[in-house]
Amino acid sequence: MNTPGFIEVFLSLALVALAIGLTVWWKIPVQKDMSLGSVRAFVQLVAVGYVLKYIFALESILLVFLAMMVMITVGAYTASERVKKIKGTFVVAFLAIFIGSAVTIAVLLLLKVISFEARYVIPLAGMIISNSMNATTLTINRISADIIGNRLAVETALALGKSWRVATRTFQREAAIAGMISTLNFMKTVGIVALPGAMTGMILAGAEPVKAVLFQIIVAYMLLSVVTISTIVALELTVRRFFTPFHQLRLDIL
Amino acid sequence: MNTPAAILEIKNLVREVPTKNSPKTIVRNISYTFEKGHIYNILGPSGAGKSSFLRLLNRLDEPTRGQVVFMGSSYDQCPACGLRRQIGYLFQTPYLFPGTVRENLLFAEDKLTEEDIRHLVKQCRIPPEIIDDSVENLSIGEKQRIALARLLAMKPEVILLDEPTSALDPTYTRAIENLIKSIVGETRVTVIMVTHNPEQALRMGGLALLLVAGELVETGTVDEVVNNPRTETGRRYKGKELQ
Ligand SMILES: Nc1ncnc2c1ncn2[C@@H]1O[C@H](COP(=O)(O)OP(=O)(O)OP(=O)(O)O)[C@@H](O)[C@H]1O
Ligand SMILES: [Mg+2]
Repeated sequence: MNTPGFIEVFLSLALVALAIGLTVWWKIPVQKDMSLGSVRAFVQLVAVGYVLKYIFALESILLVFLAMMVMITVGAYTASERVKKIKGTFVVAFLAIFIGSAVTIAVLLLLKVISFEARYVIPLAGMIISNSMNATTLTINRISADIIGNRLAVETALALGKSWRVATRTFQREAAIAGMISTLNFMKTVGIVALPGAMTGMILAGAEPVKAVLFQIIVAYMLLSVVTISTIVALELTVRRFFTPFHQLRLDIL
Repeated sequence: MNTPAAILEIKNLVREVPTKNSPKTIVRNISYTFEKGHIYNILGPSGAGKSSFLRLLNRLDEPTRGQVVFMGSSYDQCPACGLRRQIGYLFQTPYLFPGTVRENLLFAEDKLTEEDIRHLVKQCRIPPEIIDDSVENLSIGEKQRIALARLLAMKPEVILLDEPTSALDPTYTRAIENLIKSIVGETRVTVIMVTHNPEQALRMGGLALLLVAGELVETGTVDEVVNNPRTETGRRYKGKELQ
């Protein structure tokens, strides 16, 4: 099979038409989202395709770095938008995503698992950052909901002379698991239930399946690393914001 | 000014909390000296700031102005966690951590010996056979006594009790009152107890402070404050005009 061109993309719109037709028939009011979503997917992906083509051609370290910072910033913004409850989450989300992604990518580069070429770094960074963003959002949401909802438990521990760290320990564990669970589940079922996008893409593009699999294993390990680091950073920074230096619970950050 | 018996000195304590429009003062310039081994009843209508005052004494909240001095040293010179172990705080609704009674006592003080636990349980009239039971299914009265035992496990100098009987029926209420009095007799701990009920304050005896709208309006023996108030506000409280 040849890789698809614009004509094939145009033909695959038949599937969109089918989906929209079905929702009209079943009176599910999502036609607007569907048509808009299809257009957006088209425009965004085509745009990113040309941007990547440009970046790959230039092979400038600065440009790769810049692209990653844009991705991290957008990721942090998206995460903080989904945590409406507490103020000033952007900085926390940014640091969590940045530190997790930077450490993971740095290790991959230092061990020479991947070489510093835009065509490797950027797609991997995309996977890393989007997983980090999800873990960060889930962690921040869970820990803040748990602290707010268990105020009496937290303050009882504080009143017994415990530090904020001890007073929130069980909630921290729960939130850490919440942040990492989808990656852990993914690791367990990868290859059996899900054939991940990266691997599927490589196979479709004509790569040998075993090569694609080896690549996918690296991807799985790197996601484990980024998600763990981002979860811990997000947790640490969020919990700290709920307490004063005198171990007093403060709810004025809500 | 630092008499040997003074345990907690409160100086011009103010707490303001931000609200939508302007800051609201919930503790207004309170000064008072608590002395060792006495029972203090904090009286006042609902919303007077009794709980807010107690939270400041446990340093669960920070005062906007003024200071608290514990045994000669100002709160801002003491590490908050160590301080809270000296000045125990019992919440209005007792919270026990999931686990057994024993685990709850050990959470407060992990160096408790078997002997200490037996003593605490006896002191707080907890049935010894429930020590290793889960706290989940206990009655509220039992929970309150376990929370009290957990507090005493830290060997505090002062205990702050926020309406410790508000959730209890009259028999249990008397039992807790007597328990607190017997603990004061045994340990010379200083008790600062919030109650909205003047009758209860009279039963507890000792001294009383009347708070109204964040202000300390009356101090003296319980009898003086409850039966012979000196101020107009105190008389209105006696006449049950302030609820
Ligand atoms: N963090 C806060 N933010 C805003 N207002 C507060 C805050 N804490 C307390 N208040 C207000 O301060 C006032 C005093 O509250 P507090 O709980 O101390 O009263 P109380 O004397 O203990 O009343 P009760 O007998 O009903 O328990 C109340 O009007 C309360 O709404
Ligand atoms: Mg109260």
